[in-house]
Amino acid sequence: MSPRIPDTHAEAWALLPWLANGRIQASDREWVEAHVAVCAECRAEIAAQRMVATTMNRDSSPESNETDEQRSFNRLWARIEASESASPASVASGAARTSRSSRTVRWLAAAVIVQGFGLALFGFNALRNSSPTGEIVTVATVPAQPRLNAPAVRIVFAPGASIASINTLLTHQGLTIVGGPGTAGNFTAELSADAVASGASADSVAAVISRDPNVSFAQPVAR
Amino acid sequence: MALKSVESQAPRTLSPSTDASERELLERVARSKDQAAFRTLYSNYYQRLSRLLARMSVRREDIEEVVNDTFWVVWTKAGEFRGASQLSTWIIGIAYRRALNALRRAKIRPVSDEPFDEDSVSVASTDDAETDGQWLAQGLARLPVEQRMALELTYTLGHSCEEVAAILDCPVNTVKTRLFRARETLKQVLPSLAGMPGENS
Repeated sequence: MSPRIPDTHAEAWALLPWLANGRIQASDREWVEAHVAVCAECRAEIAAQRMVATTMNRDSSPESNETDEQRSFNRLWARIEASESASPASVASGAARTSRSSRTVRWLAAAVIVQGFGLALFGFNALRNSSPTGEIVTVATVPAQPRLNAPAVRIVFAPGASIASINTLLTHQGLTIVGGPGTAGNFTAELSADAVASGASADSVAAVISRDPNVSFAQPVAR
Repeated sequence: MALKSVESQAPRTLSPSTDASERELLERVARSKDQAAFRTLYSNYYQRLSRLLARMSVRREDIEEVVNDTFWVVWTKAGEFRGASQLSTWIIGIAYRRALNALRRAKIRPVSDEPFDEDSVSVASTDDAETDGQWLAQGLARLPVEQRMALELTYTLGHSCEEVAAILDCPVNTVKTRLFRARETLKQVLPSLAGMPGENS
């Protein structure tokens, strides 16, 4: 059966906006263009619709900026975390999924779990010696319990980040991991008392490390 | 006859390759709750959705809420996207329905019922482009939200008729009718449209 070839002005007229924006269906393009070629009214309408499109695009300059976007995303992320914290089952399954996604995350998760059971169970030296490269020392030497009201940041490390680079980053910023991983692979890290005494805050540290290539996401934790 | 499209002026809808890369991001969200992938998707849509919602008369203070409600759905339902449409169609459709709810909650009437009175329109600028923009803004404000959205999705976001129908959840012929009426209304409002000469190139 041959394709339907409508050649009515009304049908072509209805499709002119998509001829104008270049998104008309291939099956319609040929006959609509053929009609427009011989119809002065449709040619004038195409020109008019181009003007509307141009003006709408000129008129629709974005009003928000990257700061607005980041702030907005942070609110959404806090909402997601709050929701998933309230749902232990989803957190557990999500954490299991996420913790399998990266060897680095597994190391960090193991370090946090070790804290939970108490470093005494293994002995600090034994833990340090068990690591062939000693990379986990910094993570494993965090206090077993978060300090009350200590400034903290929430961090998601980049998928390719190495343990060594994470250790270096944490050490330079005076951060110690005290929790995680969350559903999205996020960890909570506290600022050391020394870092706070030297003027660092959760906001400033989050801003600095969010620019580090080893970090996908960082935000201060509201406490 | 070669008909020049508005492609060079309009932000276009996603190309197939972009859609494929965004689907990959969504799969990462669905599979492993990948926050970096989610953040990238959010960034890809934040400006587009904010602009669309502003055009729908969603109040400025509600726009972020609608965007975040939309991406809340994306986060929680990522695994349910079956790929029958473009990802952009799915996400913008969610935003559209959320925005309609926000308008209802705020008891905002997104269009005036009063007949258009040309004398009531105030256009201060003498610059042609700026003047067209002011006339158009006031003309768009006179359109029912469904017609305004059909125009916005077609001319600003560059969607096809079928994609607009999917986003607005209505038949293709309804989209054509809405745009037809919108075009007629704008001609009554925009002096430069009413007196448009034949094709100028």
